[in-house]
Amino acid sequence: MAATATPEVVPGVVHETKDKPKSGLEPGYLVICWNDPVNFMQYVTHVFQVVFGWPRKKAEFHMLQVHEQGKSVLTRESMEKAEHYVHQLQKYTLHATMERDE
Amino acid sequence: MKLIRRTDAKVLFHLGQREGNLLVQVLKRYPRVPSAHQRLSKSGLLPNQQENQRLLDEALAEQRADCKKQLQALLADPRRLRKVAAGFRLALSEPDTEWLLQVLNDIRVGSWIFLGSPEGKLEGLSATTAADFWAMELAGAFQMELLQALEEGGRDQ
Repeated sequence: MAATATPEVVPGVVHETKDKPKSGLEPGYLVICWNDPVNFMQYVTHVFQVVFGWPRKKAEFHMLQVHEQGKSVLTRESMEKAEHYVHQLQKYTLHATMERDE
Repeated sequence: MKLIRRTDAKVLFHLGQREGNLLVQVLKRYPRVPSAHQRLSKSGLLPNQQENQRLLDEALAEQRADCKKQLQALLADPRRLRKVAAGFRLALSEPDTEWLLQVLNDIRVGSWIFLGSPEGKLEGLSATTAADFWAMELAGAFQMELLQALEEGGRDQ
């Protein structure tokens, strides 16, 4: 059996790195839905309710944001979860992408 | 397309003869969205983007193949789509309704793409574009009927 190494801790020294690279587990990815002229507003609201489990009011708020502002940031997630949501939204043929939150 | 009854287990619709035939015709156009149409990211700044895009394309292709099978099963299943004297009876479970919405929207969006993704009113319909215009409008009409039926059941709490 391999031995477990004891981590060495030096009191009073804090190691910090600037611009830490984002790992796939950090919630650093935005799921965005973009406007298009073909999807019905009622359908988009329904899809948001089903995919995110949102109440109707929240789903309508984001649907209107898509409609009026051209896009809506739906959630901020880890890479894996963002991919999952994008896939779910694209299954319903919504125009959804994920972008790194800079 | 008229909602007859909705229970926890299923939604039952009546369709007139012509309406039922139109639904079957439009559903036969599935899938309509070109494969690899959907993009994972607009910016292209994701790690391993090419590989992740490939995985997304595969997942969507698999889902479309699955929907196609479910659709064929629905059209051949008299317990779910049955001819009656005055038209058709369509019985859908809630999961059925969800994938049927996906199928109808694929037909709607795919037809719109084939029409050149027009932003506003479509001008100059020709013999070649008429079928896509017809499918886009009809898929949308059936989609709205399904959504209406779901909402009448009081999904929102």
